[in-house]
Amino acid sequence: MNDCPISIIVMQSSVRGAGQQTLMNHDAEHVPTLARRAGRETALMDLITDSLVIGLTEHAPLILAAMGFALLYRLTGLLNVAYSETITLGAYLGMWVNTTYGLNFYAIVLPAGILAGLISVATYFAIFRPAKNRNVGVLEMIIISFGLSILLRHGLQFIFGYPVRFYNVPPPNTIFVLGVGVSSFRLLALGSVLVLALLLFWFIQRTTFGLQIRALATDEDLAQVSGIRPLAVTVLIWFLAGVAGGLAGAFYGVGSSVAPLLGWRQFLLILLVVLVGGAKNIGGVIIAGIVTGVALTAMTLQFGQVLWAQLVLIAAFVIILKVRGRRMADTGKV
Amino acid sequence: MNLDWLDAFLVSGLFYVMMVIGLALLLHLQLGLARIANFGVVGFWGIGMYAFGVLFVKVDWPFGEVWAFLISVVFGTVVAGLAGLLVGWLIADLDIDGVLVGTLGFATAVWILATTEQDLTGGALGMGGLGFPYDIGSVKANETLWLVILTILVAIILYYVSRVHKSPYGRLLISIGDNEPLARSLGKAPFQTKLWLFAVSSAGMGLLGAMYGVNERFLETGNLGIDITLAAMVGLVLGSTTRMWGAAVGVALTVGLFDVVIQFYLPLPREWYTQAIPVLREMVFGGVLIIVLLFRPYGVLGDMRRDKLMRRMHGG
Repeated sequence: MNDCPISIIVMQSSVRGAGQQTLMNHDAEHVPTLARRAGRETALMDLITDSLVIGLTEHAPLILAAMGFALLYRLTGLLNVAYSETITLGAYLGMWVNTTYGLNFYAIVLPAGILAGLISVATYFAIFRPAKNRNVGVLEMIIISFGLSILLRHGLQFIFGYPVRFYNVPPPNTIFVLGVGVSSFRLLALGSVLVLALLLFWFIQRTTFGLQIRALATDEDLAQVSGIRPLAVTVLIWFLAGVAGGLAGAFYGVGSSVAPLLGWRQFLLILLVVLVGGAKNIGGVIIAGIVTGVALTAMTLQFGQVLWAQLVLIAAFVIILKVRGRRMADTGKV
Repeated sequence: MNLDWLDAFLVSGLFYVMMVIGLALLLHLQLGLARIANFGVVGFWGIGMYAFGVLFVKVDWPFGEVWAFLISVVFGTVVAGLAGLLVGWLIADLDIDGVLVGTLGFATAVWILATTEQDLTGGALGMGGLGFPYDIGSVKANETLWLVILTILVAIILYYVSRVHKSPYGRLLISIGDNEPLARSLGKAPFQTKLWLFAVSSAGMGLLGAMYGVNERFLETGNLGIDITLAAMVGLVLGSTTRMWGAAVGVALTVGLFDVVIQFYLPLPREWYTQAIPVLREMVFGGVLIIVLLFRPYGVLGDMRRDKLMRRMHGG
């Protein structure tokens, strides 16, 4: 089993509807020029439609996870490698509640997210807060989160066993969107992203807690003397980020299978989306997530090889980071 | 040579420990001195292994196997060094986040290339056809000699690291790691220094990868996981990221404990070794990283000792 931090996505739930065959299959020599051009245009339109629909529905959990990661990163300044395990935890917890209590998927999504959020808070109190109190440096903090990631991943393997696990759910309904069939679970994931994005935007921009979060992220000392309780706000952020990661994990898990490397395979993409999208702005992260999902799908459909698409994307993102330059002060709040 | 007293699995375990010590020593230069967090050690190690393997196996060499072997080893080392140069150029002026993405992304790219380029690498099925450049009798004898050669190589790396510690170049690395803007303001060139460091240490990692490929005689993409990076990093952190001997002590206490002592000397049920022990090993490694950095951030050996010149200057 490889354990590279990248996803291997099988687009199993997306099929083009009947009657959408393109002219590409016809013998080109016998097709008049106009018809060929029309055929090319139809093929291009099909590619765009397929990429948009499949990209958005297939990669909705990626956007969800990236939003949670960005929230945490914005407040704490920490690239928490263990966030990949928050995603895996969501998948495992959802699967456990689903298979143990026989509840359907729609009933377990929220509990899985909340449990993942609580565990996220527990890791803050058990590890990251003591580390902050001991003035552990930023680099060391990332290595600590790397250690926690390894510990949790193999701990999950120890508890839930070695074989890959599956949700016990009936086959999802296939719903056609612009002629492309997508599963109802993936549509739910997309709906959750939309709802959560709106909620987060409202919460951060319009509520008192949101104002406190922004203040704390900008200047912790000033926020403290202004009467803001950093601990309460920080705990809330860790919880919300955990919930987002847990929900993403549950959606990933029900769409394919549950394995200890589930979250780790998504981690590099999440990291790239957040750093390129700009963690200061949730909107930028959402746009970067959407572009990533659509571009991955378009390249996969063109190359016929998902790994090549990912390779191109990684290279493009690293070059963007290089060109843009990321020279931040060596400080972190956690 | 009669090697009946020597367990073949023990030779294999010791080879792995020695190789990780070599990787941890090179990581010490990057992480301990220049404070570059290379999370893609496996990428440089793997590209050296595959570049060596592909050239050695796929090319129809017109001359003897020994020369083909040596040229392939040099090729693997150079390719890893050039990869280090490229990745170093990408990340040398980025912050820690950029370094994490760049190195992790490179390791992933190597894995993707090894998996997708099936004609060259055999993809997920793997690639055989590798072997030792000599034959002194039994397989065990060949492997033991290869372990001796690796030990000599690691000793050379250790010597190189000790020279770096005592040289102006080493002090420059430390100053860049401590305060890069200050080093730049004093007329130093952090970018070029980091680039050179990355190229040389990556070439060393590639050479160790090629040597591992020879010992295994079979290359598979399963080797390109996070385990190698984790083993080198946990050993270095436990020993001491800033001390030269930290890598050797830390790896002996972690990888040595699991891959030699527990594997060969503890009478545990056989089925534990296939599933439970490897999982526990990784859990312990993860836990060690957390505990050491929380409670003893400079590891077992403690913080860096200044060399004689520095102690005299500072009256130590």
